[in-house]
Amino acid sequence: MQIETALLIGALFACATWLILQRSFVRILFGFILLSNAANLLVLSMSGRPEGRGAPVVGETEMPLVDPLPQALILTAIVIGFGVTAYLVVLLYRLFLDQNTTSVSEMYREEEGE
Amino acid sequence: MNAAVLPFLLPLFTGTLTLFLGKPGTARRAFLVASALVQLGVAAWLIAENLAGRPHVLLAGGWASAVGITLVADLLAAIMVALSSLTALAAVLFTCFESRPRLEHPLRLPLVQFMVAGINLAFLTGDLFNLFVAFEIMLIASYALLTLEADDWDIKQAYPYLAINLVGSTLFICAAGLAYGLFGTLNFAGIITRAADMSGDPRILVLALLLLVVFGTKAGLFPLYYWLPNSYPILPAALAGLYSGMLTKVGVYVLLRMFATVLPHDLSGVHQLIAWLAGLTMVLAVMGALSRNFIRGILSFHILSQIGFMALAIGLFTPLSIAACIFYVIHHIIVKASLFLVGGVATVLNRTDDLDRMGHLWRGTPWVGIVFLCQGLSLAGIPPLSGFWGKYLIIVEGLRAGEYILIGASLVASLLTLLSMLKIWLAAFWSEPEGVAVRVDDWRWRPLLGVVGGLTVLSLGIGFGAEAVMQVALRAAQAALDQPGYVELVLGAGGKGGG
Repeated sequence: MQIETALLIGALFACATWLILQRSFVRILFGFILLSNAANLLVLSMSGRPEGRGAPVVGETEMPLVDPLPQALILTAIVIGFGVTAYLVVLLYRLFLDQNTTSVSEMYREEEGE
Repeated sequence: MNAAVLPFLLPLFTGTLTLFLGKPGTARRAFLVASALVQLGVAAWLIAENLAGRPHVLLAGGWASAVGITLVADLLAAIMVALSSLTALAAVLFTCFESRPRLEHPLRLPLVQFMVAGINLAFLTGDLFNLFVAFEIMLIASYALLTLEADDWDIKQAYPYLAINLVGSTLFICAAGLAYGLFGTLNFAGIITRAADMSGDPRILVLALLLLVVFGTKAGLFPLYYWLPNSYPILPAALAGLYSGMLTKVGVYVLLRMFATVLPHDLSGVHQLIAWLAGLTMVLAVMGALSRNFIRGILSFHILSQIGFMALAIGLFTPLSIAACIFYVIHHIIVKASLFLVGGVATVLNRTDDLDRMGHLWRGTPWVGIVFLCQGLSLAGIPPLSGFWGKYLIIVEGLRAGEYILIGASLVASLLTLLSMLKIWLAAFWSEPEGVAVRVDDWRWRPLLGVVGGLTVLSLGIGFGAEAVMQVALRAAQAALDQPGYVELVLGAGGKGGG
């Protein structure tokens, strides 16, 4: 499981980086969403190997429990990430309204012409 | 009631209450100023408590520090809280005098309070994940403030600021997660204890480098500073003073806290790397400042150049250089904020801060010139102003460590700083072009200058009373570097569930 998780995290980070470096607003937005998910998965994997461990609810199982702290951390990170993503959506929409474009390269080319 | 939490709660409550008070008006402003004064008082009291040898520690919910969240108001944190309260007070006063209540954006001052809450939490926290939360509170408020009053040209500059900080925050979560995987705790005291048994583990080195990237981005170290010099100039002067004074310095503070207090002291390779990045930052940023032709643009690049001095002091990593770094931060926050504010006063008088269209300020309003000269020369490091003493100590320590190239770079950077201050001086104050008017009839410039004058007097006080300030900085540095003392302080506080 550890190797697969590591590969998945790597793939998510790679895709997110590629998307953020694109010119279209929508791809950039998806890139940032993917990036925060990759980071959350990384934190989750810090709970250790899940095999042979029960859910972190006391009294439900005799097995040793999974470390619950990373899950609490992710919960916080998801909430914050959600807020920031909402802000990013609004900012990109305002940029679209002001500049009449959804391409980053067009937006900054105008500025050099001024 | 534990006092360590007050610097976080007071601005949070003030901000929330202000939202309910409705439209901007004189009563609302009076409430905000009063609250800022109380916050400053609490911070001063925390410093006094520390100097009397009573640092405050709060264990949230009464849980022992390895289980719950810890807030630690040691001397360094208390000094930083005092500086952020002072800058926030200046920003509130400047906003009040700059415009009539009718013209004030109703969300500006509440958001300032939320940002100060985040900044203060970042100074006080004793826990890596809580530090992440504090950064996010601060950053979200700063995103909102940056775009609140931006027009459609300005708002384009907000996107790089947002993008780089989003990437920085993501790397921060990763670093926090990896630190938890490595040490099994996120508490600073816990990390110190665990890391002591793992001496020489290469994973600590990797974590230190990751943290350097995260906080180097926030502080604006080369090569991660591109976002700053374009985004800060879009802010109104009152907010630019607060941003330039505090936001990057939170990055410097956390670098200091991480490398001096939390991580093992034997990472000399990373310290060396910080010193060299600092040297590059100083020289390249000051050249950027020379290339700009409007006051806020020049000053924005200077923030970065000065960050280089502070980071160099961290990189040298001797007890005296850490103290010099703390002294430099104290000096820099006040001087930088007041330079942005005096730039705001000049903008009110000339109706622009484009150097080609400014002039006559020395003839029209000599006091604005005197204040600018005091703070500009202090930034460049002319004795006996406050900037000189910090630079002097950093250079002495650098020469002692044999870092001749870096010291040479810092001297060149100081000289170029002076040159770009002269550029502003000659264009805005000394030159007398035709067709440029000084609007002395504008009632606003006198109270605005009063705010900046207060900061300038404080800054002159630091310069002439350097010995006393340096003693405080030395004690703060000793406390920050004393890892066993920090562990003793936090774990000794004793709470539920401690082992």
